[in-house]
Amino acid sequence: MAWESMRQRKLRAFLTTLGVVIGITAIIALASLGEGFRVSITERMEQGFELDVLTVIPGSLFAGYRYERFKDTDVENISRIANVSAVTPVMQIGSVTLYNGEKKATAFVAAATNFSEFQQVFSDRFELKEEAMPDPVENDTLIIGYKVNYPNKTETAFAFPREKINVTLSIPKQTIPPSVEYENYSFTVAGTLQEGGTSGLTNFDYWVFLPLDTARKIYETSLVDLIFVKVPDPEFSENVAEEIDALFPPYQITVLVPLSFIQQVDLILGTVQIFLTAIASISLLVAGIGIMNIMTVSVMERTREIGILKAIGAKSRTILTMFLAESLLIGLVGSLVGVPTGYGLAHVLSYIIARFAAFQPDWLRSPEVERAVIAPIFSWSWVIIAVIFGIAICILFGLYPARKAAKLDPVEALRYE
Amino acid sequence: MPALLEAKGLKKTYRMGRVLVSALQGTTFDVAEGEFVAVFGPSGSGKSTLLHVLGGLDRPDEGEVSVDGVSLSTLNDNALAEVRLRKIGFVFQFFNLLPRLTALRNVELPLTLADLSEKESIKKAEDMLKLVGLEDRMNHRPSEMSGGEQQRIAIARALINDPKIVLADEPTGNLDTSTGGEIVQLMKRLNEEKGQTFVVVTHDPAIAETVDRIIYLKDGRIQRIKKGYGRL
Repeated sequence: MAWESMRQRKLRAFLTTLGVVIGITAIIALASLGEGFRVSITERMEQGFELDVLTVIPGSLFAGYRYERFKDTDVENISRIANVSAVTPVMQIGSVTLYNGEKKATAFVAAATNFSEFQQVFSDRFELKEEAMPDPVENDTLIIGYKVNYPNKTETAFAFPREKINVTLSIPKQTIPPSVEYENYSFTVAGTLQEGGTSGLTNFDYWVFLPLDTARKIYETSLVDLIFVKVPDPEFSENVAEEIDALFPPYQITVLVPLSFIQQVDLILGTVQIFLTAIASISLLVAGIGIMNIMTVSVMERTREIGILKAIGAKSRTILTMFLAESLLIGLVGSLVGVPTGYGLAHVLSYIIARFAAFQPDWLRSPEVERAVIAPIFSWSWVIIAVIFGIAICILFGLYPARKAAKLDPVEALRYE
Repeated sequence: MPALLEAKGLKKTYRMGRVLVSALQGTTFDVAEGEFVAVFGPSGSGKSTLLHVLGGLDRPDEGEVSVDGVSLSTLNDNALAEVRLRKIGFVFQFFNLLPRLTALRNVELPLTLADLSEKESIKKAEDMLKLVGLEDRMNHRPSEMSGGEQQRIAIARALINDPKIVLADEPTGNLDTSTGGEIVQLMKRLNEEKGQTFVVVTHDPAIAETVDRIIYLKDGRIQRIKKGYGRL
């Protein structure tokens, strides 16, 4: 019955259904694009952050109270925590200048660390480009970050393995007022680190590494500035971070947990996605009002028909069901068409975004344009939510005219011209 | 023999704009099973209102209707619809077929409402169309049929659920004399062959001549009841 009466009013049914199609299309397009956006950002962040490495730094963002650097006992205590697989302390020296004869290079960070411990923590990244890690490590061994050694891809390297170079280090002096003296030290290059590329929390491309023991002698201190802690699986990171926190007085250190960053970002992006989808839902609401409008007109037009049906014995419930079935049909057809259309639209939008990214000026363009493409993600849960929402809207807005039809007085309805 | 249809002291007043119209003013009569009764009267005499009240489409302000032993005033709207579906068949002046359904589907409609299976209801509807002589018009829509044919479809629809009584409101009022005569003949034949009870509201004297009993109605009151000729 519902189908037959819709066939009679083809254009009107088509336009009403189109409203629902547009609503569902908008929801699915924004939801799948939003999902793709969320996943692509989260993935890029996961590549950038090593989720299984926690960073312990002195001081607290909130208290502003600085713990006086870390002692060897702090490092030992941390390494004793359950589910800690490796620990490496780092003394940060700040920016240094390197000289190889006439050639000059700058490293933004000079890190003094125990190479083998450091490699245990950053096993994926702390590898030499040309050869194996130095073993044994001499006092004057130096590892150079990729961009330090190759500032321009076209030029030859600043230094090659086994070359001796000079490094200028700034040494603070206990004078009044405090001053800094620059001293030159000679190091032997062990090799260049692999190119990291990713723009994560720690990009070693602009770093140089020297042995911790050497730095301790030069600076006459055993204290370190930060501690990297590796856990066997990112899921342990929250617990381990809590235990590390417990080792120190409150608000004196900060443990950076990359997993919780990502979780926060993921949460924010999820909220944005829901917000966008909610805006898209407004169009479905508008479609629902369209249904109500068209159904009310339809009830008026079919008043006589309703009268006939009631006269030959149709119950009010039957009339109600008849009209609800019509709006349900509109919702169902609209949803079934809207879901693939929305997903298609998401692909078109993602293509347009990708083209737009390609036209960006060079200084805006990220090194990996291909990865800036957001692939829409098809998710059944969104499909189910959209279809249920679409049908619910249709039934809700169809209910008023349907009830109006069901409540018609048969005698009045039969008299209606 | 108890009466199939009993109307006792029916009163009905309705509002037409600002004017209160007293359509029925205490109408009482019986119809026996197998009877063919005509309610005769000028327009505005309350005939249609009487028919609506008898058929459970409308409720009287006062008085009581019972069909096949069921008192309609005790029923709620749903039960009343059920009575209309199973015990009463309606035939209207303007046929009142559903325009977008074929003849077959129009006749089948009450069976669908009665939740009969599609196969069974199609079979019954086909038989019924044969009975009214329209088996070759089964798949035509009302707009493709003449007035007489449409009224036959309407009669077939009224009869499909084997109602106790068929209530017809000016069934020939919208037809020319000869077609109207055919419709009267059809009803008469059904009355004689199947023992179908008819109450026909009309102001067509041609009908009045063929029926068993004529009830003359004026201003909502029965003026007299006369035995008809009972012939064609």
